[in-house]
Amino acid sequence: MTGRLRAEQLSLGYDDRNVLEALDLDVLDGRLTAIVGANACGKSTLLRGLARLLKPRAGRVLLDDRSLQDVGTREVAQVLGMLPQTPVAPDGITVGDLVSRGRHPHQGWFRRWNAADEAAVAKALTATGTQDLVGRPINQLSGGQRQRVWVAMALAQDTELLLLDEPTTFLDITHQVDLLRLLRDLNADTGKTIVVVLHDLNLACRYVHHLIAMADGRVVTEGPPAEVVTPALVEKVFNLPCVVVPDPVAGTPMVVPAEN
Amino acid sequence: MPTVTTAVRSGKTALARRSVVVTAVLGVVAFAAFVLSMMVGSVWLGAGEVLGSLFRVTVDRGTDFIVLDLRLPQATSALTVGFALGVSGTLFQQLLRNPLAAPDFVGVSSGASVAAVAGIVVYGAGGLAVPAMAVVGALVSAVLMYVLAFRDGLSGYRFILVGIGVSAFMIGVVGYLLTRADLHDARQAMHWLIGSVGQAGPTELRVLMVVLVALVPVAMLLQRQLRALELGDDLARGLGTRVEWARFALIALPVVLIGLATAVAGPIQFVALVAGPVAARLLRPAPGGVLAAGFTGAAVLLMADMVARHVLPTELPTGVVTGAVGAPYLLWLLATANREGVGG
Repeated sequence: MTGRLRAEQLSLGYDDRNVLEALDLDVLDGRLTAIVGANACGKSTLLRGLARLLKPRAGRVLLDDRSLQDVGTREVAQVLGMLPQTPVAPDGITVGDLVSRGRHPHQGWFRRWNAADEAAVAKALTATGTQDLVGRPINQLSGGQRQRVWVAMALAQDTELLLLDEPTTFLDITHQVDLLRLLRDLNADTGKTIVVVLHDLNLACRYVHHLIAMADGRVVTEGPPAEVVTPALVEKVFNLPCVVVPDPVAGTPMVVPAEN
Repeated sequence: MPTVTTAVRSGKTALARRSVVVTAVLGVVAFAAFVLSMMVGSVWLGAGEVLGSLFRVTVDRGTDFIVLDLRLPQATSALTVGFALGVSGTLFQQLLRNPLAAPDFVGVSSGASVAAVAGIVVYGAGGLAVPAMAVVGALVSAVLMYVLAFRDGLSGYRFILVGIGVSAFMIGVVGYLLTRADLHDARQAMHWLIGSVGQAGPTELRVLMVVLVALVPVAMLLQRQLRALELGDDLARGLGTRVEWARFALIALPVVLIGLATAVAGPIQFVALVAGPVAARLLRPAPGGVLAAGFTGAAVLLMADMVARHVLPTELPTGVVTGAVGAPYLLWLLATANREGVGG
């Protein structure tokens, strides 16, 4: 499987509340995509739907033209990796052990741990710069290191597709930038398709190829940040009057709030 | 990269070795406690005499009578009940990611108690009917908790809170039933309620042993799912686990074990609560193991039973001793558990 992900007329919701209705979306192959939008606009819900953590109320999510509901969950897990918001590590677990758990979908009742698993874990640790932490307990690490370790776990899963739900929450600015650079480099080096839900529009503009802006459970617009980010869009999506200027370093769009 | 691979491998090997060594040591400790419990009594025997008689190496009528007929049933009962309690406790605790989530704490044992006491008091039940009702009670109360706590998945905290509520309700019902009972029935019910490994009947014990032999390998296989589930539902599903199915199995299995253990020995408190965390602490940084917790539970219950029978001036039911030791441990857990941020 190559891991092409598409939503068709997808409706998602919780209990008696519909969050998304009849949403169509193509995830761009081999690109780094960010989903942005105001709080409660449905961006995390969309990501959860794409990762089959939420069952569609209507419509479907297609992975390589097969409905996610029809593909075995383990088969999906070999193509699609998902890092939820603020995951909790078991008490006292070491970095090496946690990252190894990413190999779960590649093992079975009879297929036990082997050299391929070892290599994948080593690669994931090296890619995230956490290789020196292997024997350390997770709860002794800083927030930035911990987040890198979680990304390493998702990488060890060795999937074509990687979905991350707000991985920068609770990180300071240095570690936010650090993590986005990591994702950008991973995308460049491995050609993985990465979709990340982000809060910070400026960071998203700076580091991703493709932006999906959401408001009220709908996709307002999508495209490369330089093409789609305008004051009108920000006003519409975040309800914030602003000026958009070029980022002085990268030239990407930068949103500066206006005075009322 | 090769050095990283080596580090990954040696880390993995170290964890596996620690897990095997600690589990083996706990197994030896449990076996030692098993043998020791057959040595002490009104007639003291040497370890050699007990082992010789146990494995039919030596034949001595007197010793055989003491070991095989008098002491072996109770020791076996403590061993198997303790093992079952340890296994079911650690499965609940790991699944719900909370050290307070022991089956005796969240209403499974109290469900068994209500059914058993109702059987004794209302229907005048005796013999095998009491343990059978206890198993049914445990299952019913587990289903009740599962249904009440389930909302888009099962959160550890909600299950524990619902479990404590169910437990309180069941204990209330037990109290009501006891006040309505005549003195003889109430006495019998009270004795059952405190829990004692000595009350085990051979038939119930045999059932528990067979079920244990059948279910412990299943529990060990389910540990693979447990390792994914303890990362949270979303990650577990993301890693390809069939979450609902795995969780159902991981709740059903300990409920059956705890129901049978309760049927054999009554609701013995705190062993299920203590065994898992103690084993996990010894195993650390290797993840908690089913076998290790089972051995710990067996060793704890065997020792508690010895204290109950021989150390104190009057012979007491085992549940009194486990309760006396377990309650302070519970307080310590409550005081420290969530401060370390290890709650569900």
